[in-house]
Amino acid sequence: MSRQHGATWPFGRLRASGYLGRQRRMGILLILPALVVMFAVLGYPIVSSIVLSLQHVEPGGGKFSGTWVGLANYLNIPSDPAFGTALSNSIYFTAIEVIVVVSLGLAVAMLLNHPLGRSAFFRVILLIPWALAPVANAVIWKWIYNANYGILNYVLHDLGIINQYVVWLGDPRLALNSLLVADIWKSIPFIALLLLAGLQNVPPILYRAARLDGASAWQTFRFVTLPQMRTTILICVVLQSIWALKVFDLIYVLTKGGPADGTVLLNFLSYRETFDFGDFGYGAALADVLFVMMFVLALIYLRVFRPTSGARQAGA
Amino acid sequence: MSASSLAPVAARKASRPAPRSAANRRARRFVSRGVVVAGLVIFTIWTLAPILWAVISSFLPQTALTSTPPDLSPTNLTLDNFQAVLAGDRSLVRGLINSSIIAVSTSAVALTLGSLAAYALARLHVPGSNKILLMILATQMFPGIVVVIPLFIVISRLGLIDTYIALIVVYLSFILPIVVWILKGFFEAVPVELERAAAVDGASVLQTFRLIVLPISLPPLFATGVFAFIESWNEFFFAVILTRINVKTAPIAIAEFSGQYTTLYGQMVAAAVLASIPVIVLAVVFRQYILKGFVEGAVKG
Repeated sequence: MSRQHGATWPFGRLRASGYLGRQRRMGILLILPALVVMFAVLGYPIVSSIVLSLQHVEPGGGKFSGTWVGLANYLNIPSDPAFGTALSNSIYFTAIEVIVVVSLGLAVAMLLNHPLGRSAFFRVILLIPWALAPVANAVIWKWIYNANYGILNYVLHDLGIINQYVVWLGDPRLALNSLLVADIWKSIPFIALLLLAGLQNVPPILYRAARLDGASAWQTFRFVTLPQMRTTILICVVLQSIWALKVFDLIYVLTKGGPADGTVLLNFLSYRETFDFGDFGYGAALADVLFVMMFVLALIYLRVFRPTSGARQAGA
Repeated sequence: MSASSLAPVAARKASRPAPRSAANRRARRFVSRGVVVAGLVIFTIWTLAPILWAVISSFLPQTALTSTPPDLSPTNLTLDNFQAVLAGDRSLVRGLINSSIIAVSTSAVALTLGSLAAYALARLHVPGSNKILLMILATQMFPGIVVVIPLFIVISRLGLIDTYIALIVVYLSFILPIVVWILKGFFEAVPVELERAAAVDGASVLQTFRLIVLPISLPPLFATGVFAFIESWNEFFFAVILTRINVKTAPIAIAEFSGQYTTLYGQMVAAAVLASIPVIVLAVVFRQYILKGFVEGAVKG
């Protein structure tokens, strides 16, 4: 079999006969259906979205007839005040969310990695916010934040932290921060689970060596845990940034973007322009800008963190 | 001076540090245990408090919820909120049925197509498999809004807005890549010797997959299906754009509820609690697989 394989191998992988050739042909056949679906529902729309962003579309009677307007939709973006607001909101929301979720997630992961935190109970309660539907999460927080009867106002007032009830969703910046807290609460569990898996992959011998060298708890964290966790933390930062930029359900249920566009993120702005205002071309242009931003962000992270070289240094 | 003071110094150096550092270590361990316990308590309260409050609220009547402080006496507990949200004229029941149909179909199709593709990528030396895997990962970066605008137009033209099939196909776009990724990890862990033995016995690729690999991968397959189910059950963004009346899903029913009956707090929360029970039960029951398969897979990948 090996001789036969060796004779045909260089002449074309697909025409190779024998077991390996059969395997490869069958492999392509097996992948094809999944690829076709993914291409149809992801590849086509992405190209089509760019084409759409170069058009002005009148959604009259569901016909969506477009006229070419070149880059006009993109050129309109910088002068759109809603875009400026949405951009700064998105940057603020994403930056705070990533920093808080990854650092608190790391703290939770270290707690659960400690002998006292190994009980299955803690892992179970981590799964609950993760599995909860984002819409259900939004409804729960809507009730917690309720200005008149919400438990948050009641507890804070009872403890003497606030003098009078706060309208949590009534002020632009306060509303955005309230959304942040609700989303951070929902996001910490999965990131903590990822980081916990990373912590469990750190060779225990490194900690033993650090202890023998008389390292303090902080030094152990700084010079053993952090370098070893570099790649995992990078993955978490990338994933959490993407998820923060995709937040939609919370905004839809809690504020619909208000007050005064205070909780409009780019994702929601594009949705509103497209499906509430019917401007499909402009909405697509905004969506493409968001897409490029997310792509560039991922590239920057990969550059800054350089996971492979970091892992190699740490492993050496 | 020199001789008399040097001796104690030498003696101290030799004997003192040991007991002091032992006491020190004990004290430090005590403090660090205290920090860990305090951290675990805060973490538990922070994570459970919103959920507990939602569950309690869903069992309380409006009068108890709107009194200050909230009237938590157990005699108040009632199922009225649940009965009200499940009453026929509200869309929650319809939403739960629709979500079940869509989530089960999406998971079934994703598992079928996904397991074949994952097996091929794990074992069958497909040319360009690295590029395909990279593409699959890249799909996770697409914001839904980029995809949904053109899809909405196409689906409108086809007259498929507000149909099961439209939602199922669109859900496959983001669930299929994850399913392929997770299952590839599982299939790679299957001992390759089993498949070699099957091949030596003359089994075809498909026979090997069906008779050897699938049976021993049933638990992870089932768990991956659960994961796909949770993701499609919870999805809201595509559903709100691509449905109108007939195939409204549970999340849409919850959102509408909180928009229409803003002052019926107990019912609003009861709807959210009710629709969350299936996915939370699934997640807790299958936690071993979720923790092992998905989380570790993501870190390694």
